[in-house]
Amino acid sequence: MTAVGAAGVRPRPRRGWLGTLASTDHKALGAGLFTTAFGFFLAAGVLALLMRFELARPRLQLMTLHGYDELFTLHGSTMFYLFATPVALASGVYLVPLQIGAARLRWARVALAGWWMVIAGGLIMWMGFLTAQGAADVGWYSYWPLSDMPNSPGIGTDYWIVGILLAASAAILIAACVLATIVTLRAPGMTMLRLPVFTWTMVVTCLMVLTAFPALVVAMGLLLAQRQLGGVFSGASGAFDYQHLFWFFGHPVVYVVFFPFVGAIAEAIAIFSGRRWFGYRPFVLSLLLFAALSMSVWGHHMFTTSAVENRYFSLTSTALLVPAGIEYFDALATMWRGRIRFATPLLFALGFLVLFVIGGTTGIFVGSPPLDYHVTDSYFIVAHFHYTLFGGSVMGLFAAVYLWWPKVTGTLLSERLGRWHFWLTMVGMNVTFFPLFFLGWEGMPRRVADYPRSSGWETLNAVSSAGSALLLISLLVFLLNVARSLRRRVPAGPDPWGGQTLEWATSSPPPPENFPAPLPPVRSFAPLQDLREAAS
Amino acid sequence: MRRAGYVAGVTDTRHEYDTLAGLYVPIGAAVVLLVALLVVAFAWRYRARPDDPDEQRRPSRIHRAPRTEALYVLVLACVAALLLWRTYTVEGRTDHAASGRGLGVLVTASKWHWRFDYPRLRIVQRGTDDAPPTLVVPARRTIDFTLRSLDVIHAFWIPDRRFKRDATPGFVSSFSLVFPRTGFWRYGGECSEYCGLRHTWMKFHVAVVSPAAFARWTRARQGGAA
Ligand code: HEM
Ligand SMILES: [Cu+2]
Ligand SMILES: [Cu+2]
Repeated sequence: MTAVGAAGVRPRPRRGWLGTLASTDHKALGAGLFTTAFGFFLAAGVLALLMRFELARPRLQLMTLHGYDELFTLHGSTMFYLFATPVALASGVYLVPLQIGAARLRWARVALAGWWMVIAGGLIMWMGFLTAQGAADVGWYSYWPLSDMPNSPGIGTDYWIVGILLAASAAILIAACVLATIVTLRAPGMTMLRLPVFTWTMVVTCLMVLTAFPALVVAMGLLLAQRQLGGVFSGASGAFDYQHLFWFFGHPVVYVVFFPFVGAIAEAIAIFSGRRWFGYRPFVLSLLLFAALSMSVWGHHMFTTSAVENRYFSLTSTALLVPAGIEYFDALATMWRGRIRFATPLLFALGFLVLFVIGGTTGIFVGSPPLDYHVTDSYFIVAHFHYTLFGGSVMGLFAAVYLWWPKVTGTLLSERLGRWHFWLTMVGMNVTFFPLFFLGWEGMPRRVADYPRSSGWETLNAVSSAGSALLLISLLVFLLNVARSLRRRVPAGPDPWGGQTLEWATSSPPPPENFPAPLPPVRSFAPLQDLREAAS
Repeated sequence: MRRAGYVAGVTDTRHEYDTLAGLYVPIGAAVVLLVALLVVAFAWRYRARPDDPDEQRRPSRIHRAPRTEALYVLVLACVAALLLWRTYTVEGRTDHAASGRGLGVLVTASKWHWRFDYPRLRIVQRGTDDAPPTLVVPARRTIDFTLRSLDVIHAFWIPDRRFKRDATPGFVSSFSLVFPRTGFWRYGGECSEYCGLRHTWMKFHVAVVSPAAFARWTRARQGGAA
C-alpha cells in the first residue's frame, strides 16, 4: 500500500508515535494537533483550579503573590495560544478535506511544521516554571511598560514571548494550508456556496488568522527586541502603540477560537433536527460581516485609556449584535419543526446556545463605554469572557468531539456518560462563573490573589471555587468516557447519526485516501441530506 | 469638550451608570431568557417520539425565509441604534474633562501605592505599600482629577462612583467626579490594571465629608503640614 505518487506530498500512512509525528496525512496531523491542544487545555485547567483554590478564601493560603501572577498569565496564555487557537485549527485540518471531498490537505508539510511549532512553543513557554524567577508574570496581553525588562526581569517572560512567536506563526501557517485546501481542492460540484457550514466557519476563521495573527507576531517580536535591546517603545505613545498592536490581534482571536465551534454546533443542530441548516446564505453573509467587524472593534479594550475614539469603537462593537442575531435565528429556525433527537452532541450544542448568549449580551454591555468604565478589568469581565470562551468555545468543542468522535476513531462514546458530562459541565460552568458578574459589579478587580475581609466577597468566591471543582469532575467523566470508548471499541459504522455532509459518506475512520469510492453528487451544502430527502 | 446634551456642572457618574444599565440589563436579560426559553420549547415540542404511532412526521423542508430574516435584521439594527443613542448621550455626560471650577486633585500612581495632591490647598495624602492613603473629598462638590503614573500602567477605580480611568506613564488624563453621599469607604478605591507584584494590594480609602468638615480637615492638615 504505497501512496507515494508523483506529487510527493500524498498522504503517507505511518506507524507508531514517531510515525504520527511525521505524518502528512491530514487526519493524523489533525488528530495529533487536537490532542496536543487538549493536553494544554488540561494543563491550563489545573492552573485555573489552583487559582480558584487560592481565591476561595481571603488572604494567601497556597501561594505567593508572584505565584498567582504566573498562574493567571500561563493559564490565559496557554488557553488562547496553545489550546483554543490550535484546537480550532486542528478541527479544520481534520475535517475540512473530508467535508469538501478532498483526498488531502494542501501544503500538508507546512501544517506539520505548524504542529511541531505549537509543541515547541508550548514547551518553551512552560519551561519558564523551571527558571529561577519563574514563568512569565505579565498577564496574557503583557502591556508595555510592565512587560519591559526593568519591570519584569524574569527570563520566563522571554521564554513566554518566544513560545507565543512560535505558536502564532504556527497558526498562520496552518490557517494558510486550510484556506488553500478549501480554495483549491474542492470536489467537483462543490462551489463556494455549497461548502458545508462548518467549512464556511473555517474559511472566516482562517481569514481572521491570516489578517490578525501577524499583528501578534509583530507585537511579540517588538516586545522581545525592546526587552533585549531597548529603543522600540517609549513614553505614552509607546504604551498606546503596543495596545493597538496587541488588540488588533486580540479581538479577532476570540472569534478565531469561536467560529469553528459555531460551525460544529450548526452541524450538530442540523443533523439531530433531521433538517438542513436554515438560512444558509444569510448565515454565510453574517459570518463574513462578523469577520470584517471583528477587525474594527479592537479599541473597545482601550475605552478607559482616554486615547481612542470611544464612540467609533462602541459603534462597531454594538453592531456585532446583528450578525450574532442572525446566527441565533438560523439555529432556532433549524430546530423549528424538526425531528429532534437528544444525542450528546446536540445537548452540548444547545448548552452552547444558552451559555453563549450570556457571554454575548454582556459583551454588548461592555461595548458601551460608560458601562465599561465601571466593569472593565473587574471580575465582570472575567465572567463575560469565560461565558464566551468556556460557554462558547469549550461547549462547542465538546459538541464537536461527541459529533465526530465516531468518525475519527470508528468507535462510539457512551451516551449515558455523555449526558452526565453535559449536565455536570452545565451546572459547574454556571456555578463557577455566574457569581463573578456580581463580584465584578461590586468592585473586585481581576488579577488579584487576595481580597479584603471587609469586602463581603467571601461567599461568592467560595461558591465560584466550588463550581470549579464540579468542572473538574465533569472533565474526569469525559476522560473516562474517552478511555472506555477506546478500550471497548463499539464499532460506529460510517454514519451513526444520519450525517449530511461528505465526511459521513466514507468509512470510520476514513482510509488514507479519504474517499476510495466515488463521491455522491454535490448539489448543495448538505449532499447526503439531498439523497435522503430525494428517497423519502 | 462640549457636546450635545452636556450640562454645565458635573453629573453623578453612578446615577448615569445606573440609568444606562437600567436599559441594557433588562434587554440583555430578556434576550437570554427568550433564547433559553425558545431552545427548551423547540427541543421539547419537536422532539422525536420513536414509540409514537404518528411519528411518521417528516421534518420540515423549509430552509429559507429571506423576508422574515430581513425584517428581523431590521429589528436588530433598531435595537443596536437605540443602545448606541443612549450610550452616546450618557457618554457625553460622564466623559467631559476636568471642569476647571471644582476642587483640583492630582492623583499619582506608582508601584504600588497612591498619592493625592491638593495643589491649591498645599496638602498631600501619601500612601505607602503597607498603608493605603485616604482620598478625602467634600460631598456634592465637583472634584477635578488629573491622573498620572510614574512607572507602569495603573488604573484608578472607585467602584462606588462606577468609574475608572487608566494611568498611563507619560500621559495625563483628567476627569471630574462628584460624591453625593458622605461616608467612609474602606478600600473604596483600587488599582484595576495589573501593574506587577503588589497590584493585589494597591488600594486607597475614600472619605467623603461635609463641606464644613472638609474645611476643618483642610485647616488641620495645613496646620500640621506647615
Ligand atoms: C476550566 C475552567 C476554567 C476556570 C475555573 C478558569 C478560571 C480562571 C481564573 C480564576 C482566572 C483568573 C482571573 C483573575 O485573577 O483575573 C482566569 C483567567 C483567564 N482565563 Fe480562565 N478558567 C477556565 C477556563 C478557561 C478557558 C476555557 C479559557 C479560554 C479558552 C480561559 C481563558 C482565560 C483567560 C484569557 C484569562 C485571563 C488571564 C489574564 O488575566 O491574563 N479560561 N480563568
Ligand atoms: Cu475585544
Ligand atoms: Cu495595579
